[in-house]
Amino acid sequence: VSPRHRAVGAEVLDACRRGDREGFRALYDAYKDRVYSIALYFFHGDRSSASDITQEVFVKLMTNMAGFRGDSGFSTWLYRLVVNACLDRARSGQNRERATDPAHFDLLQDTGSQEHALARMRTAESVQRAISSLPSQYRLVILLRYFDDLSYEEMATALNCSVGTISSRLNRGHRLLAERLASLRGTTV
Amino acid sequence: MIWQRHVTHRLAEYVDQRLSPGAARTVEAHLESCGNCRAALAGYSFAARLLRDVALTQAPDSLWMSITAALDQQSDVAAPKVRLKPDATSSEPDATSLEPDATSSQYVASGFSRTFPWLRPLTAIAALLAVIVAGAAGYRFYTRSTLAPWEVTRLDRAQPERLKANEWIQTGAVSGIRLNVGRIGTVDVAPGSRVRLVAAKEDEYRLGLAHGEISAVINAPPRLFFVDTPTSTVVDLGCAYTMRVDDSGAGTLRVTAGWASLEWSGRESLVPAGASGHTRPDVGPGTPSFDDATPALKGALDAFDFENGGRNAVEVVLAEARVRDTLTLWHLMSRVEAADRERVFNRIVSLTPLPKNVTKDEVMALNPDELKRWREELAWSW
Repeated sequence: VSPRHRAVGAEVLDACRRGDREGFRALYDAYKDRVYSIALYFFHGDRSSASDITQEVFVKLMTNMAGFRGDSGFSTWLYRLVVNACLDRARSGQNRERATDPAHFDLLQDTGSQEHALARMRTAESVQRAISSLPSQYRLVILLRYFDDLSYEEMATALNCSVGTISSRLNRGHRLLAERLASLRGTTV
Repeated sequence: MIWQRHVTHRLAEYVDQRLSPGAARTVEAHLESCGNCRAALAGYSFAARLLRDVALTQAPDSLWMSITAALDQQSDVAAPKVRLKPDATSSEPDATSLEPDATSSQYVASGFSRTFPWLRPLTAIAALLAVIVAGAAGYRFYTRSTLAPWEVTRLDRAQPERLKANEWIQTGAVSGIRLNVGRIGTVDVAPGSRVRLVAAKEDEYRLGLAHGEISAVINAPPRLFFVDTPTSTVVDLGCAYTMRVDDSGAGTLRVTAGWASLEWSGRESLVPAGASGHTRPDVGPGTPSFDDATPALKGALDAFDFENGGRNAVEVVLAEARVRDTLTLWHLMSRVEAADRERVFNRIVSLTPLPKNVTKDEVMALNPDELKRWREELAWSW
């Protein structure tokens, strides 16, 4: 199972509600890379901001787990925390826009020969720069869609907007990405 | 005849197979005849393929330690640890002598058994008893805090006191109290305030604030925590805020993180972090504004909301508004006289272009869905 599609079962959520530290660890392991990656891409590769956001989200999550009623998806609640944490930090000016450093990302899933890997890395750098260049409202939708495969309804809840707005932002986000990555057409491996 | 409208706005739903069979057929029929839309679909699919290949970046290993340290720190504050110490007046350690220890989570005998090795078995028994006593106390504390949906903790007392439904609390002139809102957050009630628990249910926590000030920090899904005041209800949308109510019932909501709303008789004011909203008797919530808006804008807004300031006040607001103040202008769209609405609309679009998915006709007609879509786009600058 791809790490981005791992989910936790009801027993883990129940253990977390009871305050079980092992349950929290299982929850953390299942979602940490997704939360960290979303924050990392949102803040243009700034690892410090990504770490701060990840810590803030999981501390809030674990502190308030007993209040999670389970009548809405856990992912929805989790990503709402992620979105709010990112936007609050961006608004507060704690994070300044900075040039993207591809070295901070793990880039594409690597397979094949060295030459092949190099070509893929170049492609990945371009993709990552293109994602970072998106306006934040499109960037967030794209990240939620592709890093955790959220449904339109889940994204709408996480971003506190309508499903129609999600659809619209996905359209515009993809169009902008396609324009900015047009030079890769026919060259990607 | 093939429906000729371009379908670029439906590509996401088409690719993700969210369209009804009929709508999908319409899109496909159009794609067959429209090169521009086929090119747009190819671009969409190309971007989607690249995005699906983006690898997640692994979170640093050290993060878990930071998180557990932060959680332990919170636990230390919430429930001080206990430390077992020997009774200096007794030859045997007193298993019931427990005192708070802010630095250790262990039960320690302070070198007692090293000094009196023959007492080790007694020490072990005493330690076992201490564990049992502490465990029982901990279980009682845990079950009490788990079972009690609300707890009131006075700032100057260690033991929590449960707040009963409909029980009023009047804080003194000097000290306030803290309310634990189930497990979803806390409310600090300032000195000189009068509050009441209205409801504490799985899907609704509701307080009443007659006068005074509360500061709430809530981490929960939206619309779970409410505070009723004499002139509005504060609805938590995932946030931290301060609400102050004076003896007349007039109040001010100031949001420091996330969003909250003031609601009263169908009137709603959405207040994001950094903004405030006022509420007055017989009127309800006024129009929210950012705290860093100009004094002239805020003064004119008060005049408009609560003193029948009318068109003159609106003119001042329009003249003083910055991009960020589209928060205020968006709310004014549905509050000004119909004759003034277009001027408010024009001012907003002069500050932020109208999004493509919003039409002037619909927002001028105060279509709720259209206004919501517009607000969602404007909110990126708030």
